[in-house]
Amino acid sequence: MIELRSLTKRYGATLAVDDLTFTVTPGHVTGFLGPNGSGKSTTMRLILGLDAPTSGEALVNGRPYASLSLPMRKVGALLDANAVHGGRSAYNHLLCLARTNDIGPRRVAEVLEQVGLAGVARKRVGGFSLGMKQRLGIAAALLGDPEVLMFDEPVNGLDPDGVRWIRDLMRTLAGEGRTILLSSHLMSEMALTAERIIIVGRGRLVADATVEELIASHPTLEDAYMALTATSVQFGSSR
Amino acid sequence: MTSFTSRSRNLRAREASTNVLASEWLKVRSVRSSHLILALSLGTILLGVGLAWMAAGMYDSAPPDQRSRASLAELEKVLVIVPQLCLGVLGVLTITSEYVTGMIRASLAVVPRRWPVLTAKATVVGALGLMMGPTVEFGTYFLCRWVIDDRFAGVYTTPLVDRLPTLITTGLSVPVFALLGLGLGVILRSTAGAITILVGLVYVIPMIVGNLPEPWSERLGSVMIGGLPGQITGDDLTHSVYGSLLPPTAAAVVLATYALLPIVAGAWLLCRRDV
Amino acid sequence: MRAVLSSEWLKLRSVTPTYHAIGIAALMVALGVVWTFYVSGLTAERGSVQAAAPEQAFLPLIQISLVVIGVLAITSEHTTGMIRSGLTAVSRRGALLLAKAGVAGAVTFVAAHVVILITYVVSWLIADDRPLGFNETVFSHDLPILLASGSSVTVLALVGLGLGFVTRSTAGSIVSVVPVLFVLPTIAAYLPAPWHTRVTALMLPNLVPQIAGQRPSRGFGDSFLPPWGVSAMRQGYAVIALAVGFHMLRRRDA
Repeated sequence: MIELRSLTKRYGATLAVDDLTFTVTPGHVTGFLGPNGSGKSTTMRLILGLDAPTSGEALVNGRPYASLSLPMRKVGALLDANAVHGGRSAYNHLLCLARTNDIGPRRVAEVLEQVGLAGVARKRVGGFSLGMKQRLGIAAALLGDPEVLMFDEPVNGLDPDGVRWIRDLMRTLAGEGRTILLSSHLMSEMALTAERIIIVGRGRLVADATVEELIASHPTLEDAYMALTATSVQFGSSR
Repeated sequence: MTSFTSRSRNLRAREASTNVLASEWLKVRSVRSSHLILALSLGTILLGVGLAWMAAGMYDSAPPDQRSRASLAELEKVLVIVPQLCLGVLGVLTITSEYVTGMIRASLAVVPRRWPVLTAKATVVGALGLMMGPTVEFGTYFLCRWVIDDRFAGVYTTPLVDRLPTLITTGLSVPVFALLGLGLGVILRSTAGAITILVGLVYVIPMIVGNLPEPWSERLGSVMIGGLPGQITGDDLTHSVYGSLLPPTAAAVVLATYALLPIVAGAWLLCRRDV
Repeated sequence: MRAVLSSEWLKLRSVTPTYHAIGIAALMVALGVVWTFYVSGLTAERGSVQAAAPEQAFLPLIQISLVVIGVLAITSEHTTGMIRSGLTAVSRRGALLLAKAGVAGAVTFVAAHVVILITYVVSWLIADDRPLGFNETVFSHDLPILLASGSSVTVLALVGLGLGFVTRSTAGSIVSVVPVLFVLPTIAAYLPAPWHTRVTALMLPNLVPQIAGQRPSRGFGDSFLPPWGVSAMRQGYAVIALAVGFHMLRRRDA
């Protein structure tokens, strides 16, 4: 479970996240939508304690993320698939992260197998395609077998095979009773994967509803999204 | 959720820091640049032997009157700048490479208290410096001693016991550079910035200080990092840009400050900054 | 070629490190002022002083800070992956290298000379007619060494650029420039005579005084290089580094 209470983040004059309050519940995939620059990634960084909120708080299973002693066991996250040292092998990259949370090489091999990278585990990440890096990032999130998972744009760069794989993976993970927060710009994909949708625009909460509720009033999820975010597509809010 | 999650939920703090240490050690040894840097440091020994061999050749072919006037510097003391710089750069890269790639986000997400990451990095680069410095110093010394023998007015015939303090202190300056590099890297988060400042501290500022009029040349020259090992062992520094006003203990304290102050400042920033 | 040049010029002036580097180099003016006031103060008690000219004393500061401009001109593109779009847009790799060399060379040339000349003029104005050692010659006498100092910065920046093309790594190139600038001259000075004078005379930082007809470094014998040899040596550093860089750029996949 992820709870946001009046979460606010200001960078100088820009309000990146503006009084955001919502709860992500376990057992289903929650889609996190919003135009570019609407504060999705910032929100995820705030949840992970990477950035400090200006005010408000973000709780994971009732506690601030930074107070967790072995956080990988509770929360797994994919923020930026490209954020890997190109000179390191996939196996070593994962082991670097795993070690810190007392996770052994066996689990590393397991997740590499699970995401389909076992064959290139010893290859330098620098030579990976974006799709392979996405799989590597997902593997890193899965390392600690966590109850809460966050994925920022995991579908980018994946082939149709990979897109379907992610969809099935997300649904399986949610079916196991985990909390899944998934951001994406692919509406059709989101409609197939997510059960609940949270939409933000200019750092503010625009909608928090089920997919069914959203498509009840609009022909498709995409139309619902367009209608709801029509006023928030400008960058750098001019409030 | 599964048996995996329930295993060892309450890890003791010491075990936790050992884990972070193991991770940082793996980070250093799993990239090629570290291997290259350490190989370069060890290459200093070869460079020293090469220079010694060249000098010995020139000495042997020189007429006797030139021989009696010929002098040679203690090569391991001159060449220590190579491992110092190498380990300094290793220190810088340990942290800035994470900022450049963005890996730092993942690193700090999995260790949210942050400072253990820096402590572990400091332990790893400090330990590598501690191994590399004395290895290079003693390696260069023994091989040069063997090549030079009693040439150059017996510069290499002093008993080892007399040279030991200098060899050890000079060797121990190498981990200081490693920690200084790491500290600068954490503060600046930029490879170019941190290496430039490191080079500035080590080479440029002493050159400028050496040009200052007295008494400031001597005063500031005494706290320059390069002159500190010499002051700790009480060497004659009159022909260098460095001063020699500090007693050995004070020089040791200043040397330790170079290593620790940037790291402490960096840790303070790391724990407060957004990543 | 003009389009490539203007693109490189835009790349250089649209990133902050360029301004940081020039800012640090410009510190020389402030340091020069403090320096001149300080040594002027000393004349009150000592009568006269033999102080080094501030633009000479602080030259390494400009050299190391502006070298970074040359290095980052290429390595920042490798770090970000921008090099691939760069080489797609300019498929003639030689043109890309020349444009980068032209822009980095021109920027460092202008920046270095401006900073050095301002430092020179300001310190000269502050010094007035007090006997400080460095202000006892006329401008026409000082000009050759001022120009030599300024262009040494450009040569170093181009060496940095060449090394950047070779190593493709910021750390690698800055670290490779350091030996050229600081380590080799130090080690050369420890060689037995007469070799130390011969080798020292070839070191890049020691070419600056030789261009002005002085000895390579204090405490060494006269230079054996003829004046044209000194300039050739100096340009040689930049040309060789860029040539090796070009060779690597042409041969390697981006």
